[in-house]
Amino acid sequence: MSKAQKYSVWYILPALTVFTVLFIVPMIISVFFSMTVWSFADFRFVGLQNYKMFFEDSQLLQGLGNTLIYAFSTSMSKVVLALLISIFLTSNIRLRGALRSVVFFPHLVSNVAIGITFCALMHPTKGVFNAVLTSFGLKASKFVYSPNTSLVSVIVTDVWKGLSVSTVIYIAGLQAIDRTYYEAAEIDGASRLQTFWNITLPLVRPAMNTVIILSLIGGLKSFDLIKTMTDGGPGNSSTVLALTVYRQFANGYYGMSTTGNIIMLVMISLISYPLQKFLLSREVSQL
Amino acid sequence: MKKLVSLLLALALCLSLASFASAEGEWEYKEATISMMVGNDQVMTGIDAVLALAKEKLGITVEIENRVDESVLKTRLAAGEATDIVSYNCGALLVAQNPAAYFLSLNDHPEITDRLDDGFEQSVTVNGVTYGVPIDCSNAGCILYWKPLYEELGLEIPKTWDEFLANCEVIKNAGYNAILSADAKTSSTQLIFLGDFYNVMAEDPTFVTEFEAGRAKYATNPAAFKSWQKYETVLPYLQDGHEACGLEDGLELFASGNSAHWIYFSSILGNLYDLYGSEVTDNVGIFAIPGDDPENTGITVWQPEAFYINKNSEKIDDCLRFLEFYISDEALDAYTEAVVPHGAMLVKGYTIMNTYPAVANDLQAYFDAGRTCSAQEFISAVKGANCRSFTGGILSGLYSAAEAAALYDEDCKLQAVQLGLDWE
Amino acid sequence: MTKRKRTYTMLGTLIGAVAAALVFVVPFLFMFLESVKDKKESNMLKFSLPTQWHFENYGQVIKNNNYQLLRAFKNSAIITVGAVLLLVVICSMAGYFIQRRGDRLSRAASNYITIGLMVPPSIMPTIWIMQGLHLYKTMPGMILIETALTIPFTTMLYRSFVATIPIELEEAAMVDGCSSPRIFTSIIFRLLQPVTVTAVILNSVTVFNDFMNPLYFLPGTKNATIQLTLYSYISLFKTEYNLLFANVILVVLPMLILFLFLNEKIVAGMTSGAVKG
Repeated sequence: MSKAQKYSVWYILPALTVFTVLFIVPMIISVFFSMTVWSFADFRFVGLQNYKMFFEDSQLLQGLGNTLIYAFSTSMSKVVLALLISIFLTSNIRLRGALRSVVFFPHLVSNVAIGITFCALMHPTKGVFNAVLTSFGLKASKFVYSPNTSLVSVIVTDVWKGLSVSTVIYIAGLQAIDRTYYEAAEIDGASRLQTFWNITLPLVRPAMNTVIILSLIGGLKSFDLIKTMTDGGPGNSSTVLALTVYRQFANGYYGMSTTGNIIMLVMISLISYPLQKFLLSREVSQL
Repeated sequence: MKKLVSLLLALALCLSLASFASAEGEWEYKEATISMMVGNDQVMTGIDAVLALAKEKLGITVEIENRVDESVLKTRLAAGEATDIVSYNCGALLVAQNPAAYFLSLNDHPEITDRLDDGFEQSVTVNGVTYGVPIDCSNAGCILYWKPLYEELGLEIPKTWDEFLANCEVIKNAGYNAILSADAKTSSTQLIFLGDFYNVMAEDPTFVTEFEAGRAKYATNPAAFKSWQKYETVLPYLQDGHEACGLEDGLELFASGNSAHWIYFSSILGNLYDLYGSEVTDNVGIFAIPGDDPENTGITVWQPEAFYINKNSEKIDDCLRFLEFYISDEALDAYTEAVVPHGAMLVKGYTIMNTYPAVANDLQAYFDAGRTCSAQEFISAVKGANCRSFTGGILSGLYSAAEAAALYDEDCKLQAVQLGLDWE
Repeated sequence: MTKRKRTYTMLGTLIGAVAAALVFVVPFLFMFLESVKDKKESNMLKFSLPTQWHFENYGQVIKNNNYQLLRAFKNSAIITVGAVLLLVVICSMAGYFIQRRGDRLSRAASNYITIGLMVPPSIMPTIWIMQGLHLYKTMPGMILIETALTIPFTTMLYRSFVATIPIELEEAAMVDGCSSPRIFTSIIFRLLQPVTVTAVILNSVTVFNDFMNPLYFLPGTKNATIQLTLYSYISLFKTEYNLLFANVILVVLPMLILFLFLNEKIVAGMTSGAVKG
């Protein structure tokens, strides 16, 4: 029996059908509808007008800028902080298992629930965060209610939640490192910092790349937390692309919403494909 | 004494209700269930009272569905999956909705259309076809003020915006909060702009037509830009923490009597009454958002939403029965007994028995003098969808008035393109 | 171990425990404490023990609006179970195909499916297509959407695990006269059990917690999911934080239970899924 007979296409057909009809086909159609004024019932072809308007409208552009700020800052924070936490959690401490569980739990909680909780903690007059800040003699912040801090407030919340997954990935990466490297380093009398720099960091790279890619793409697509915590406000100070797409949908501007969707798609592709190529090329294989 | 009067009033209402019921209780009784979509913010007390009565008298059970976003309705209508009856705006917004495609014509049902107030009927009529009945009384964009504070400080009702700001200064210096603003309810921040429309029209009657043609802009038309400038001038007088103040917080603050003004809809009287009763609402007065001309101050009026029948409903007869019942005296009595109306009920020959002093004395005077104007959204369909982002943006210090007005112009352009207007 | 080293370990444990408690436990404790206070106390948003414990808050929110929360739970459960079952069936097959067949076709299929790992879904056209198929705003439609969006991840998860199953097993079965479908159902699928557990857990979490897609594809209160319901409660319980947080706790509860029972498996699954996928 040939391979083609043994592994008939019937195996992949169901998954391929669902994925094609509800993901790929819409993606292809969206190119056309992004060039229309569209109400489902009918549409009017307008060429590149939607794109032109999108890039001329400072509010829509702000959403684009915020998305980049949001994605890169959350991703960077997670990459660094989660590495530190995971090193701590793989070191020889007690309560290691319990601590790992505690760190992991936020991942299971929905963004809506977390958004509600952090909004309450960040309440400008009554919140716990401000109580802590003022007790250290710092100035109270308005958090999500000030245009200067709204985006940062959501970023902090997102990082808090995202640390759990990132940490778990790092832990897996760290545990996969062969212990003999460390033993050899100890015999050579390497300092802790040297060991970290020359052994841990290069060898944890595959895990780090996973964290970078996952958190960056997640950040570029993020919607739930922002919708729950600020809904893009005050003004449009914390609007991101996914929210712009939703708003245009909510306003009934289906063509414009699709245009936003395409711009998001192109942006994510332009960032993540080259980045992934670059990161993979720099991975050190563990011999 | 007051209590006794209100008790008697309630008693009289009950009696009159009972007599009405026996006199015209000849409704056809047939059990049916119809679905209905209403706005998320809709105060349901009055509607619920009518629904309960409809179940009793008509046998019609109504399942309510809340519409979370304006959009949900548009999407559902376009998908042919709306409820049997939908509540939606009238005026230009109705026109933009393409009612002929989705809503049932009421032209063959004089038993319904003959009862509608002329002005209201106009706003639910598109190309000679009438579609809906009012779900509520009319609403006004206005400045609600706390009368005891005005008395205590010896203030006059301001006739110009500058006088208003002068009053605010006095109030602030006296240690009170001059203007209450509930920014966390972002839609409420639009009122200074939207409620100022009477003044825009008074100063430049051509603005709307010019605006719709894409020639006049908020940022450049002097009359229209004044509405935006007003935001900058109120900034020093807003209460601390206005950014995080929600509607409920606002109600509590206002009822506590330390705030002199709240620029909002007159319908907020209903919320105040529900929570704090007439002790609070008796202390509230209303005046129009003033402009520059002391001789001409007027009120910007919002028509209520209307109930429309889904053309594709399978229960059109039951829906018609319900609509006819909804604007009957019997139903309106039940409605006004459950909620004190904050404006006219918009049904011919029906007069409300009880209302708030602010409505009966202050608001009514503007209507009697003919100094009212429909809000812009009933005249022109071009209303930027993100208006609240910009009005709220000025109040949070993000934008200047000029920036916000220019941004709103961009926003309106998006809408104009959707409507197929040529705006280059 | 030297004495000094032991002190370091103790110190590390202590610092770690305190920091973890502050950063990761306080928010959850806050949720819970808020949910058992009375209205007035909860509205002060203090991180403190309630003066009186009001567990009846939970009963109140469950009964609210004619058991709306329970109906939302039911809807979410149906969507989650439906999507996860479908995913396990079709993605185990797809992963098997891609890993084993190893020709141009399977590589093309693999690349095709990985598009979905990065690219965001195109919302409006998807709604349009679903309307055409009469699936928009229906539970089967929502199940299919959640499935379509998680097919890429789940397929890749299965593919990497299939690689660890020795092909000799299949060859032996083949010699015994087993047909290909038979081999898959009675041998391969059983051996895939560990990764199936991972797929079930991870996808359950994703689908159950999803907010954005039901917002687009399942509007309306009749079949609102639990996350949509919770979102709508933000404005409904604006001045009653105790009830809002009682809702939050109830929505988080299924995940907490899952976590308590399957903690080890989840973490193990997470790591294998994330690193290999």
